[in-house]
Amino acid sequence: MEFYAFDNAYLERLRSGDFRTVEHFVSYFSKLIQLKLRSRVRSPEAIEDIRQETFARFFAALRSPDGLRQAEKMGAYVNSVCNNVLLEYYRSAARHAPLADDEDAPEIPDVKVDILGGVITRQTADTVRNILDDLGERDRRLLKEVFLDERDKDDVCRDFGIDRNYLRVLLHRAKQTFKSHYIKNIGEERGGAAD
Amino acid sequence: MDHNEALQEMLAEKYLLDELSPESREEFEAHFFGCTECAEDLRAGAVLVEGIRSELADRPAEKPAEIPVQRGGQSGWLAWLRPALVVPALAVLAGVIVYQNFVTYPQLKTAANAPQVLPWASVSVSSRGANAPVITTRPGEGFLLFVNVPPDTRYSSYIAELRNPGGKVDWSLAIPASSDDSYPVHVPAASRAEGTYTLIVQGVTATGEKTEIGRTAFELRVL
Repeated sequence: MEFYAFDNAYLERLRSGDFRTVEHFVSYFSKLIQLKLRSRVRSPEAIEDIRQETFARFFAALRSPDGLRQAEKMGAYVNSVCNNVLLEYYRSAARHAPLADDEDAPEIPDVKVDILGGVITRQTADTVRNILDDLGERDRRLLKEVFLDERDKDDVCRDFGIDRNYLRVLLHRAKQTFKSHYIKNIGEERGGAAD
Repeated sequence: MDHNEALQEMLAEKYLLDELSPESREEFEAHFFGCTECAEDLRAGAVLVEGIRSELADRPAEKPAEIPVQRGGQSGWLAWLRPALVVPALAVLAGVIVYQNFVTYPQLKTAANAPQVLPWASVSVSSRGANAPVITTRPGEGFLLFVNVPPDTRYSSYIAELRNPGGKVDWSLAIPASSDDSYPVHVPAASRAEGTYTLIVQGVTATGEKTEIGRTAFELRVL
């Protein structure tokens, strides 16, 4: 049985509260939710609140009689729920009343509130260092000014005499190199298939 | 939005660079929440960006490579007007002028004024089958051609045209008609190649009509 496939079997395991499935689900979508919220919500506490509320509503819907039954719509549904929670946050309305204490509700694992959803491993840091070392000094300065100094990208492109596409291609190539190492490392961290 | 569109539009990169409009961003988010490939791609990109921030924050700031600046601030073609270049160039030019005025020109003047025996040959436009005469010169030495043309009262003048071994016209000379049948032509010194030269003579009437009278050849040899 494929551990990572978002199929109906996965959905059923999720509904039944299988711990490893729930852990994987939360870990996977937590990272996506954090990526989604980082440009919209400043407060890490607010990000965590929205994340928790999103998962709470998702599991409530999953276990309801009219809830989610099609695995292929699972990701879109998580995104939709997160959008609704975010809207409520923006409106500063009264938060969705917390669910009544449900002993059967799956416990949502706590995750670190950072964009990575985890600590940068030494292997990852070494990979990033090698990628940067292979770049020219000019490209390193470019990436520093964009991602570390967070200068306006139009100003940076003008100063370096490049266009936005140069920046995208630079990032794309670095990402492609990084992915081959990153996905391999992630695969090793996931462990074996579920029972 | 489908997966291919997301790849072609480099939406993951644009998302990480915060370049998407609010509508495009929501559309891409709706896509990658349901597309594991794009989700992995985006997650890897996000980890990379965080890694870049962390790594570059620990490195000392790099300065852009400096372009060497010429002393004196001169640039472009004006940089050639440096004393180190101009002085030697002027010295060479002065040397050329002195040599020409004190060596070359006097030699040419002497050569022009002093009597000298020149190589010569007699060529006849009316002769056929005769062997071409040979003229032997030194490099840069002129020679004499005695051009024999049968008198013809129809013509008021003649045009003599010399063609080199390649067939190209070397020179063209107008010769006033006379009662004589031989016209001495001084061919001045020039760098000429060895080989067979052809002399073509045309008769010109008073009305300007031209008629080829004949042609002859001679062999030029250079010592």
